Amino acid sequence: MARLRRFSSLIVLLLIGLLVGSINHHFFDPMNLTRIATASTIPLLMALGGMFVIQMGSIDLSVEGVVAIAAVCFSLLISNTLNAHSIGLWALPVAVVVGALMGLVNGLLQVRLRIPSFIGTLGLGFVGIGLATALLQGNTVRVVDMDVRAVALYRVLGLPLSVWIVGVALIIAHVVSRHTVLGRHALAIGGAEDLARLNGVQVGRIRIAVFALAGGFYGLAAILAVAQFGQGHALIAQGQLFTAITAIVVGGCSLAGGNGSPFGTLLGVLIVVVLSNGMVLMGIPPYVQQGVQGVLIIVAVAMALDRAKARVVK
Amino acid sequence: MPISLNDFRSQAPLLALLLLMALITGYDPGFIQPTAVLGLAADTAALFIMATGITFVVLIGGIDLSSQAVASMASVIVALLLPDFGTWSVPTAIAAGAAAGAISGVLHTRLRLPSFIVTLAVGGVVASLNMLWSGNRTLNIEAADRAASFGWVIGQSAGIPNEVWVAIAVMILCVVIHRKTAFGRFTNAIGSGESAAWASGINVLRVKIISFALSGGLAALSGVMMAGRLSSGSPTLANEFLLPAIAAVLVGGTALTGGVGGIWRTLIGALLVSVVRIGMTFVGVSVFAQQIVFGVILIIAVAFTIDRSKLPVVK
Repeated sequence: MARLRRFSSLIVLLLIGLLVGSINHHFFDPMNLTRIATASTIPLLMALGGMFVIQMGSIDLSVEGVVAIAAVCFSLLISNTLNAHSIGLWALPVAVVVGALMGLVNGLLQVRLRIPSFIGTLGLGFVGIGLATALLQGNTVRVVDMDVRAVALYRVLGLPLSVWIVGVALIIAHVVSRHTVLGRHALAIGGAEDLARLNGVQVGRIRIAVFALAGGFYGLAAILAVAQFGQGHALIAQGQLFTAITAIVVGGCSLAGGNGSPFGTLLGVLIVVVLSNGMVLMGIPPYVQQGVQGVLIIVAVAMALDRAKARVVK
Repeated sequence: MPISLNDFRSQAPLLALLLLMALITGYDPGFIQPTAVLGLAADTAALFIMATGITFVVLIGGIDLSSQAVASMASVIVALLLPDFGTWSVPTAIAAGAAAGAISGVLHTRLRLPSFIVTLAVGGVVASLNMLWSGNRTLNIEAADRAASFGWVIGQSAGIPNEVWVAIAVMILCVVIHRKTAFGRFTNAIGSGESAAWASGINVLRVKIISFALSGGLAALSGVMMAGRLSSGSPTLANEFLLPAIAAVLVGGTALTGGVGGIWRTLIGALLVSVVRIGMTFVGVSVFAQQIVFGVILIIAVAFTIDRSKLPVVK
């Protein structure tokens, strides 16, 4: 049973794939599979960042705002239609750093001011969207830097460069989670914060670092989003928070913290993306997806929650 | 009697409100004209009603992130049903909102899921229904239907906009519910110490479900009022309202940790939010930057009001 549970998300993914494929055989076209891989890139980066935070038992609701501000900063620095800046590929690290700084603030709010993460990150998410909107005065900026667009348009072995970049990011996330002090301590904090503290884990410092790491992943997601859409605006990540959290909890992370893995999160993202791809193939209106994701969140969280741990649920 | 720091803290929102109003009046005396004040009150009414609902949920130590979707749903339902069912569409919309809230409450209590994730998810489902029902577009309300069924929102009585009367009625009702009924006292008890409330025989699950249903119903009422005001229903009508509403509750001094607060505080919080918004326009802060200010205000309010002794581990 325990083993079955471990592979449950993989089984669910295969079942959904077979179901969609049996209804519409176009699902298995190499073209469509490439489309699924491409559509998974940006949600996967956001979910990987959020996963580290959820592993600690915290939550990050700021992803839409962080991606918005990183994307707007990024697209204003490369060749664009609004100003004369053009620092080219040097803007890549800037976007990641902007994301990481926002994450740092998230961590500081929780650790220094002792504000619960869900409300601190909710507030900072709005600040991010507000900053992005104010920077552009409500406009959209089009990106004309072809080096950056190449991230989404240039193909290697049939797959867009962005898929390969996200593959590398996934491996980095796996290494951080499994083989670094940061990743192990994050899991320890989520498992039992007081025990971790007594064992000498520097809870505050780790927590701030993990939020910053998550912000870095959001920054990378912002780069891919700008490359893919060819523009930057404040609502570039609208609705993505939902997809990210669904993917994380469907991929086996409990909101209480202490478990989950990057590859589990990959499966979660693929389940969400295959579902929405299947709905498109079956002609279901795209806006039903949000509702399906809402139901998925509830089911997944209800199944994963360790109720023995939480006596009083708020 | 000397004023202690704690007294000062609990009165700080009111002082901040008065100070802000004095500052803006100094900047432009037109701000304190009766018509301007009534306009401000009318602008605040829908926000206050939504925030009042959220207050009950925050009092029990939970949070409701579905209010904006529920309010939009009410506007869509009203716009869809008004041509055929007339005024009956209004109670239908409010009942649908209460039902959505009750579903959140049942999922939260029966499945023992954290309220923020349940209401986030239910909000997503409701938002999706809104787009499905409305065909993802704005539904206009005919002028004749509006005049027939929305007189209680758009007109004036005794020189005061009807929205303000509705808000006053809701406020009196909710103050009575909160102060004078067993349910109201139980919400504070649960927020102060849920385990103790259990042990003293309070039906915690039922009180929680009712709180969420009340929040959904009031969010729907505010959505109906927005629909009447804008003469349309839309799946995204109330999308900018969740942050100001939660900010109003927390800025007013109702603590996120539960057990402390009330309707009066939310009234002051809602007025504060409105005055800050108007003040920003007066001072010339770009409309685009207002979300930054609200996000920061939210964080500051929580930092001040939260009861850290209740949170041994901050998650």
